[in-house]
This record gives sequence, C-alpha cells and structure tokens, in this order.
Amino acid sequence: MNRLLSSLRDGKGFDIVLVAVPLLFLIALSGLPLIYNVVMSFQEVDMFSLGTFARPWVGFKNYVAVFSAPETWPILRNTAVFVVCSIAGQFVLGFGLALFFTQNFPGASYIRGLFLASWVMPGLVVGAIWNWILAGDFGVLNYVLKSIGIISDNIFWRSDTNWSLWAVIIANIWLGTAFNMILLAVGLAGIPRDLYEAAQLDGANGWQRFWTITLPMMRATIGAVISLGLIFTLQQFDLFAAITSGGPANSSNVAQYWAWEQSFRQYDFAKGSTISVVMIAVVMIASVIYVRSTRHEVRG
Amino acid sequence: MTIRFGLVGAVALATTSLLSLGSAMAQDEVTITIWSLDDANQPALNLAREFDELEPGIKVEYREIQFDDVVSEAMRAFATGQAPDIIAVDNPEHALFAARGAFLDITDRVANSDVIDPANYFPGPLNSVTWDGKLYGVPKATNTIALYYNKDLYAKAGITEPPKTWDELVEVSRQLNDPANNVYGLAFSAKASEEGTFQFLPWAQMGGGGYDNINAPGAVKALEVWKTIMDEKLASPDTLTRGQWDSTGTFNSGNAAQVISGPWELNRMLEEAQFDWGVALLPTETDGGPRSSAMGDFNWAIFASTQHPDEAFKALEYFASQDDRLFPEFGQLPARSDVEIPETGVALKDAALQVFLEQLQYAQARGPHPEWPKISKAIQDAIQQALTGQATPQAALDQAAATIDGILGQ
Repeated sequence: MNRLLSSLRDGKGFDIVLVAVPLLFLIALSGLPLIYNVVMSFQEVDMFSLGTFARPWVGFKNYVAVFSAPETWPILRNTAVFVVCSIAGQFVLGFGLALFFTQNFPGASYIRGLFLASWVMPGLVVGAIWNWILAGDFGVLNYVLKSIGIISDNIFWRSDTNWSLWAVIIANIWLGTAFNMILLAVGLAGIPRDLYEAAQLDGANGWQRFWTITLPMMRATIGAVISLGLIFTLQQFDLFAAITSGGPANSSNVAQYWAWEQSFRQYDFAKGSTISVVMIAVVMIASVIYVRSTRHEVRG
Repeated sequence: MTIRFGLVGAVALATTSLLSLGSAMAQDEVTITIWSLDDANQPALNLAREFDELEPGIKVEYREIQFDDVVSEAMRAFATGQAPDIIAVDNPEHALFAARGAFLDITDRVANSDVIDPANYFPGPLNSVTWDGKLYGVPKATNTIALYYNKDLYAKAGITEPPKTWDELVEVSRQLNDPANNVYGLAFSAKASEEGTFQFLPWAQMGGGGYDNINAPGAVKALEVWKTIMDEKLASPDTLTRGQWDSTGTFNSGNAAQVISGPWELNRMLEEAQFDWGVALLPTETDGGPRSSAMGDFNWAIFASTQHPDEAFKALEYFASQDDRLFPEFGQLPARSDVEIPETGVALKDAALQVFLEQLQYAQARGPHPEWPKISKAIQDAIQQALTGQATPQAALDQAAATIDGILGQ
C-alpha cells in the first residue's frame, strides 16, 4: 500500500496518472461523441429515437443517400473552394501585415493589437455587419466599387449564385486575417536578428533574406497556422447562417452548414451525422498530410 | 449552440425538479408545465400565470423557448420522458408530433367541452391541429399574408386600384418600378426557408395546385410569374435571401411600392411608414378565381405522456376562453370566426384588419403532414432553382413533385 502510494507520488504510478487524466478527458469529451456520431450515421434516426441507442441499423444506406443526392458534389466543391480561398486569403494578408508590423514604427504594437478586434467579435455579429456591407441595393461595398468605377451595376453579393460563396469567403478572410497575423508575428519575432545582419553583410537583398531566412525559419509556424486555419474554416458556421443561409439554391452551401440543416432543419439526424463523418475523414487525411510534411523539419 | 441548449436545459430541469419537490409537499397540488415561445408581452406567459392564480389546486410551471429551438427541445424532452404537459408548437410542425402519438388525442374532451367548439375556428387552423380525423390540439392564434400597397406611389403612377390578378400585379409592379429613385415595384420573400414556402404555397393553391400537386399547371404559372418579377428586377434580387420582416422594411422605407406580408407588420408599419398605405387581398390567377392564403402561428397541444390530462385540458379551455383578449392586449389574431375584433381607433390599422380577417377565411394549413420539413424543403429548392435560372419553373416543380411523391408514398 505504502509502495503504491509512493509510486503514485513519485514514480511509474505518477506517470500513469499523468497519462490517464488527459486520456480519460479526451475519451469522454471527444472520443465518445465522435463514436456516437459515427454510429448514428449507420442508423435510422429521427427525433423520436434520439433518446435511445436501439435504433434500426441501415448499413451504408445513409452514405448512399448522401452521395446520390444531386446537391452533394456542388456542396463539396463549395466546401473545397471556401477552405482553400479562405486560408489562402487569410494567410497572405496575415503574413503581409505581420511583416509590415515588424518594421517597428511608433505605435506598431498597439495598432497590431487593434487588428485583433475582428477576431474577438462573435461570428454572428461579424455576419450581421457584413450583411450590411454586402447588401445589394444599399450596401457600402457596392457604393465604393461603383464610386471608383470598378462596377457599373450593383452586385447582389448574397443573392447572386455567382457571388454568394465569395460573399462568405470575403467575410471569413476578414475574420481570420488578424489571428493569422498574430501567430505569424510571434513566429517572426522568434527569428534571431543576427541571421539577418550576417546575411546583409554577405550582400543578400531583401527578397533573398525573406526567401532563404524568413520562410525556412517560419516553416513550423506556417504549418501550424495553416492547419489551424483549416480547422477554423471547416468549423465556420455563423457566417453562413448570418449572410446567405447557404443560398440561393445551395450556391453557397458547404458541408458543415449542410450537416446542420439536415439535422436541425429537416430533423434527419442520420444524414447530418453522415455528412459530419465524411468531414471527419477529410480532416483526418489533411492532418496526416500535415504531420508527414512537418516530420522532418529542423527547428531553429 | 448545443452547449447553450444543454446548459439551459439542465438549469430548467433542476429548477423544475426542485419546484415540483416543493409543490409535492403542498396538499394535492398538481403541477403542470407549459412550454411556449411567448415572452411577457405575449399571451401565453400571461395567461399561464392567470391560470395558475385562478386554480388553487393547479400549479403552473412556465418555460420560454426560442422559436428555433421549439421542435428540437420538445422532441429531445419527449424522447427522454421529460416532456412538458402542454406545448405551443408552430402549426406546420403539429402533425410531426400528432402522427407519432406524441400529442394527446383530445377529440372526446373537446366534444364534451363547453368552452371549445371546433365549429368556431377558421378551417385552416383547425385543419392544422387535425390528424387522421382526430383533434390533437387547439389553435393558439393565427395570421396570414396579403398585399400591402403604398397609396402615395399608386397615386403618383396613376394607379387607382390594387391588382386583382397575377397579370395585373406584374403590370402594376412594372408601372411602379423606378430604379432611378431606388423603388422596386414589389417586395416579397422567396428565401430558402419555411418563409419561402409560406409565401409561395398560396400562389400554388390559387393556381389549383397544392403541396401534394406542386407541379399543377397553375402552380407552374405562379412560379413563372415570380420569375418574371425577378428577371425584370421588379423586386430586389435580395428577395432570394431576405425574410419577410426585412423585405417589409424596404416597403416601410419607401423602397418598394408593394409588399406581401402579414398582420404582424402593422404596428411597425404605423411607426415607420411616412406615407399612406392600404392592404388588399392576394391577387388571384384569374379575376374572381379561387382564393388562398398562407396560415401562420402556433397551436396548443398536450403531450400524450402527461400525468394530468384533465388539468392540462382545463388550461387549454382557459386559454381559449380568453381569445377575445388576444388582439386588444397582445396584437395577435384569434383563429376563430366568432370572436369580434374591436376597433382600435387607428384608421389605417382597422381597415387593414378587415382585409386580413377576410383573407383568413381562405388561409390553408401547410400539410398537415408529419414529414412537412422535407416537403417544404423540396418546394424551397424548386423556388430557388427556378428563380436563379438553374431550372425552368416547370422542371423545378416537376423535380419537387417527384421528391414530394416519394415522401408521401412512404
């Protein structure tokens, strides 16, 4: 007994406790819901069988139904466009801003902090603001674009099937840029100054310094920022709910909004879970690629 | 979202069980729980409190639920045996519960009641609480849609009368349309939500169709009329993504000369609209052709799992007995033809009410069908596909009809 206690305090037992606590936490709060979701995707679930586990088993019927629906491929394509363009936009703008603020002009750090305002705002509020900006008849964006002569007729950002997905992407880029900027700025601050000084002495110009010092030294940060970006954009729901509701005619619908629509608008929980499972699979593949690509990295 | 539900639910449960513990100690007091979306300015909460005070032997627990959560909360509660005794549910979702035996069949109780007489109710609302020939609830209130028009803009365009037919509506909208001054001829909602179905179904019904016959020639013509309105930009392209409340906002600000919406707009319009306006019945396909309109608002129902059906029904009887207060006190329309609506003294409002009351006689329930959300989705998809030009109105409605036939055939 005493030995067990002392091992718990200082020894193998303590290690086991350290491992067990987070594992139990993960299993209870992430593992079980995940498994429950996968199980639901193989069952027939409606609102009245929500409270029980004993539901009719239907095999792959839900998957067949999802993949034979005419809207599936357009929605998956939208999801891909949304994720790729949002991440690309957030990253490029965020990196540009981060580099800009490393120039240490007076007040740089305060202004950089102000940029976080977009990140701390709730998605529904951001959605409501962009709703006004993007409004077709009286929107600010249309007014600006018309005044500087880029467009001659109003663009109905939310209601034109050619633009609706882009309306949400623009709002999402605005939402995520500041977060990208902060993470990348932290990464930039971690690069030793003397590397740049040495390079400058050797005659490297700005572009060469960026390409051969900044980018390689930022590799881990960039990997983390992009994978976090993938997670955040795949979770982005509020903006869709607030700006387009996935419409018109599914032109701005994405997998995560579609899953919610199926579950909580049509009360077809099985189909909603099926879509979520497909999304989980996609995220898994993406994370495997990310882990493999960063495995051989050299940390500065 | 889920987390918030969970928390609210847990707190509500804890409160309920604590309170019911307390009341169990009082002698023979029966507790009934009522869930509704009404807040302190709306009828259910006030009537529930009055009933609580009126009946010494009955204690009423009232819980307010958000509009979007009513169905999901109710079904979760029912599935886990925690359902309230009484709930207010949106009328197209009534059959969802009734058909699965979740609501109590009150046909016999109503037959023996001195207060509730089905003959007094408008046919649409009554139909929505009926399933398989039996009554599963009582209409709580009702509403419908009609055509609001800006009399000042009418006068300016030289139009003397509101349109009577669909073709006239398009023609009048063309005359009123004035892009230079940011005025659209018409505002309505073709949003991909229940609101879109709510607005389109009356047109399909006037054209001889219905949810079970959505590709009838008249319904196709209705969608073609909608498409003409959208293609000629007689209504804002945002009609596709805007709900009725926001669409009516553009009418109130003078940016649309007409709007199709319901009596829930009256108070806001009186406040905001800086012009003279009126209300007309929805235009029909042909002059003097069959009328129809949408029917909105909630129904009362008793859950089949209740331990106190007698007390719960007594509560419904009390609510029904107060229907004459719905309009004067809360601005809602009773679903009954035997309740006189008193004059408000506001001329615009009183005139509008008369039109809405007439329109109500033609209001038809959506469904009733237990799979209504899926049927409605098929109709919304058709509207959106046709109006965005992805399919012709005929093809879109044929597709919707095939989907709905599949649902109805099950």
